[in-house]
Formats: sequence, C-alpha cells, structure tokens
Amino acid sequence: MNRRLATAVLAVALAAVAIVLPDFVNAYRLFLATLIVVFATAGVGLVVIMGWTGQIALAHVAFMGIGAYGTNWLFSDLGVPWLLSLLLSALAAAVVGVLIGFPAARLRGFYLAIATLAFAELIVRFFVEADTITGGIAGKPIEIIQLFGLDPDRSQWYIALLLAVVVFTATDRLGRTAFGRCLRMVRDAEVATGSLGISATRYKLLAFGLSGFIAALAGGLFGQLLTYVSPDTFHTALLIQFLVVVFVGGVNRLSGAVIGAIFVVVSRELFQDVGDWQRLVFGLSLVLAVRFLPGGLTSLLPRLREMRRLDRQPQEALS
Amino acid sequence: MIQQVIAGLQAGSTYAMLALAVVLILKATDVPNFATADMGLVPTFVGWQLMDSFDLTYWLAIPAAILFGMVLALVIERIAIRPILAESHFATVLMTIGVFVVLSAVIQLIWGSEPRRIDAPFSGNFEVAGNFVTYDQLATIGLGALITAALLWFFKSPWGVRMQAIAEDRVTPRLLGVRVDRVFSISWALAAAIATVAMTLHTQSTVLTDTAGAPLILKAFVAATMGGFGSIIGAFLGGLALGVIENLAGFYIGTGSRAAVAMIFVVLILMAKPEGLFSKARPREV
Repeated sequence: MNRRLATAVLAVALAAVAIVLPDFVNAYRLFLATLIVVFATAGVGLVVIMGWTGQIALAHVAFMGIGAYGTNWLFSDLGVPWLLSLLLSALAAAVVGVLIGFPAARLRGFYLAIATLAFAELIVRFFVEADTITGGIAGKPIEIIQLFGLDPDRSQWYIALLLAVVVFTATDRLGRTAFGRCLRMVRDAEVATGSLGISATRYKLLAFGLSGFIAALAGGLFGQLLTYVSPDTFHTALLIQFLVVVFVGGVNRLSGAVIGAIFVVVSRELFQDVGDWQRLVFGLSLVLAVRFLPGGLTSLLPRLREMRRLDRQPQEALS
Repeated sequence: MIQQVIAGLQAGSTYAMLALAVVLILKATDVPNFATADMGLVPTFVGWQLMDSFDLTYWLAIPAAILFGMVLALVIERIAIRPILAESHFATVLMTIGVFVVLSAVIQLIWGSEPRRIDAPFSGNFEVAGNFVTYDQLATIGLGALITAALLWFFKSPWGVRMQAIAEDRVTPRLLGVRVDRVFSISWALAAAIATVAMTLHTQSTVLTDTAGAPLILKAFVAATMGGFGSIIGAFLGGLALGVIENLAGFYIGTGSRAAVAMIFVVLILMAKPEGLFSKARPREV
C-alpha cells in the first residue's frame, strides 16, 4: 500500500514538473528534454524486439525514417492532419516491420543481424531514390507543427510527452499480458514454443511490427525536432546511438530506454563540437556495457538490493 | 562489358578477401566479426603514415602494417572478445559492432577525414585483347585467389584442423591437449592480415579515407552469406560474383541499383537458401 502510494505521488510530481518545465528552462534545454523523451520512446521499440523477443534487429532507425518522411509527406504535401499522418506512417512502418520479420522468423543469431542491416540499407536507399517524397540525397525540410495553439517548442514537448506516456503505458501493460510472456518465451525457450501450441513465427512477426510502429511514431517527432532530414540522418551513426540507448540503459526493461536516452542525449551534448570523440564515447560505452553490464545501468539497482538482502540475511537468522 | 567484368572482379576480390577474414574467425571462434574492415583499415593508415613521414618504401611499409594489424587483432581478441566468447551471437555481434565504432572513431581522431593516396610501386595498365587491365586490378584479383588457395591448404594443416575441431566443440579438443586460446589468437591474427591486404589494395586503387571500411563490411558479409559462411571457396566465389553483378547492374540498370543489388541478394539468399549457394544442406541445430 505504502509503495503504491509512493509511486502514485512520484508519478503526479513528475507529471507536474513535466507540465510546468517549459516555463522554467530556455528553449534549447527544452529541446534537449524533448529529444530525451523522443529517444526513450523509440528505445521502447528496441526493448520489445531485442530485449523481450531476443531478436538482433538492426533496422530500427530506418523505421524512424519512415515515420519522419512519411508523416511530413502526408501532412505537408497531401494535407492530412498531423496526428493522423503520424499514425498512418507508423502503420506503414508496422507493415514493413512484419515484412522484415518474415526472414527473421527463419533466421537466428548473426544471420538476422545481416538481414536486418540489409533491409535498413534498402530502406535508406529508397529514401535516396524516392525524391518526390523525401527530397532525395539532399534531404527535405520538415514543416513544423503547432498544436493546441502553442509555440513550436512547447507544442513539440507536450506531443512528445503525450506520445511517451501512451507508448510506455501501453507497452508496459502489453508486457504483463500473455502476449508479453509469449515474446519472452520465444527468446528464452524457442524450442519449446511449438509443443505448447505457441507459434514462434507469429510472435516474432508481431514483435517486429510493434517495434517498427513505435519507432515510426518516435521518428515523426524526431523529424519535427531536427527540422531537416536527409537519408543519412537514419543511417549507421543514429543506429549506434540507439544501440547505446538500449544496451547501456538495459535492454530488458522499459526504464532502460529512459536511462539510455538520458545517457545518449547528454553525451551528444557534451561532445557536440567534437564529433569524433562522441563516436568514441558511444563505441566504448557499447563495448563496456556488453562486457561488464549485460543488463545495462538499470540492472544495477536490483543487483544492489539483492546484495544488501544477502548481507542482511545471516544477521536476521542469528537474532 | 568485359571492362565492367574486370572492374567487378577487382571489387569482388576485395569483398572476397574480407569475407575470408570473416569466415576464418567465424570458423575458429564462432564470432561474426563486424569490425573486420576497420581492423584492416587501421593498419592501412599506419602503412600510409610510415610511407608519408618516415619515407619507408611500399615493400617495407605494407608488411609492417600487416604485422601491426596482427598485433592489434591479438589485443582486440584478448581484451574484448575472449571474455564474452561463451555468450550468444547477440553479445558477440554487439561487441564487434562496438569495436568497429571505436576503431573508426580512433581513425577519425588520428588521421581526420581528409582523403589520402597510397602510392603503389605498381601502377598503370596493360592491354589484353583490346581491354585495359590495371596492375592494381591484377594484384587484387591475384592476391584474392592466392589467399583463398593458402587458406584451403591451411585448413588441411594441423592448425587448421584444430581450428575446425574447436569451432565444432570447445571442450573435447581441450581435453585432447589442443591449446584453444592459441588457436583463437592465430585465427584473429590471420584474419587481420588478410583484412589489411584487402583494405590496402582497395584504398590504393581508390582513395584512403576514414570511412572506407563501413560500406565494405556489409558487402563482405553478403559475400560470406552467398558462400554459406562455412566454405572458403564459397566465400571467394561469392565475393567475385557479388562484385561482377554489382558492376553490371550499375552499368546497365543505373547507379542507384548498384548499391541495392547486394542487399536484395542477401535477403533473397537468406530467405531461400540460408546455407549458401555453394554448400551442401546441413541439418539445423535445435
């Protein structure tokens, strides 16, 4: 009961801080905060496919590209309302995600890494070629939206928050249902799925679709934040940042995406003017996380708690 | 047409050499090495530096670079790879991607992004039946074939047999007195030497830049996929085929298709015949 109350109080306090934040920080800080929220939201998609389902999926940032380009095309060129544009592009990305999932259902380990990298490359190639939609290799300015009659910065912040809350709660709920347990079963005991009447293929396809959907939702907002996107935006450099988001943060937990997003956006900021150092920091943190911290930073707290519990136990037994 | 095929064979031989480096490490240690190209690019830069600031000749600088590459690979294998060898491909894929990022960042930090030229002592071209062949092309294709032959021989030698035995089963060979760690080191050092040769030849016939490695690594994996990852000759033929098809597609269909063809190819192969085009079917592990 106490714990629930504490969580509720914390949630309300966080919401209050989030709502009044634009009045207390300058436009640039607000931009960074929005970027963190968008990165965390996109990270949720990676947690679903890599963390829960255990598939090496390296096409994530290409899905973000589908969201960014698709939303802008529908909204700016075809006059579809912005939120609807975002939703439609996310659905398109989900379909592409399922398509990518088809070979994935048969492939495992690094074969899957190669296939998804190749798909990502093809999608980026498509961004280069489809220049009526994407502006080709030169890129395309993104038409900025202003929802609720707010200035662009605030409007982006509130949309990002809203989207993040929806994505995090929905995914969290989903993770606790039979669906979520089936995904983890595909990861931990794929051999056994067949004998229990669970189709591993079906769940892999759904996981790929869901992760593409989430990536594109975040991608639509990411485009808004960048104000200008080119095919290169959604290439290796961003992919590496997202690998850092989930593997430094912790790939099995949704909170890992938040911690990882803060880590990456702050690192981007600290090493902004020295791009090479930024790359080195991301590379080293990925190497160190894989080597020493397979559960990411979010695994530290439960581990610490466990150690304290083990420390205490003998004394309790004595008394 | 023939000119395109020759250019394709040259590109293909580069893919093939990198694919061989991938297959070698995969066969011995079961690690899919996404850092292969940059493990060859760092020593290539070292070789360029030796020629540029110490006036070493090509024939001294490149062997020194290869040696440097082998030592670098031993260090990487020892500190980054071996501690996580027992884990799944998930961990090793991410680790080698991380190593790739670190290496390419180090190249940028030391040498920057400015393009450089490697002056090879063999330049120019000769004519065969109305077609021009450059000495670079001849060297690349010839060395690709030579390395393939050498690896075929190597896998029949005692060290090669041990390597394959370890890839199959890490426990039994150790019980039989095989120094597993030494076999791992040898495979990484050899792969790095091959990658250095590939990257040197590639950058001297084009241009030496910090980003030369990234586009090649996926091509190397595509070539290895075509060969089915287990087969030396398959990786070589896969690389050549990929290079030729790419060049012909670029020439006859358009430059846009050139970049896409490899990706479409690998997806189709993985879906239809994941064991590769040149190898016999193998039962899947459960």
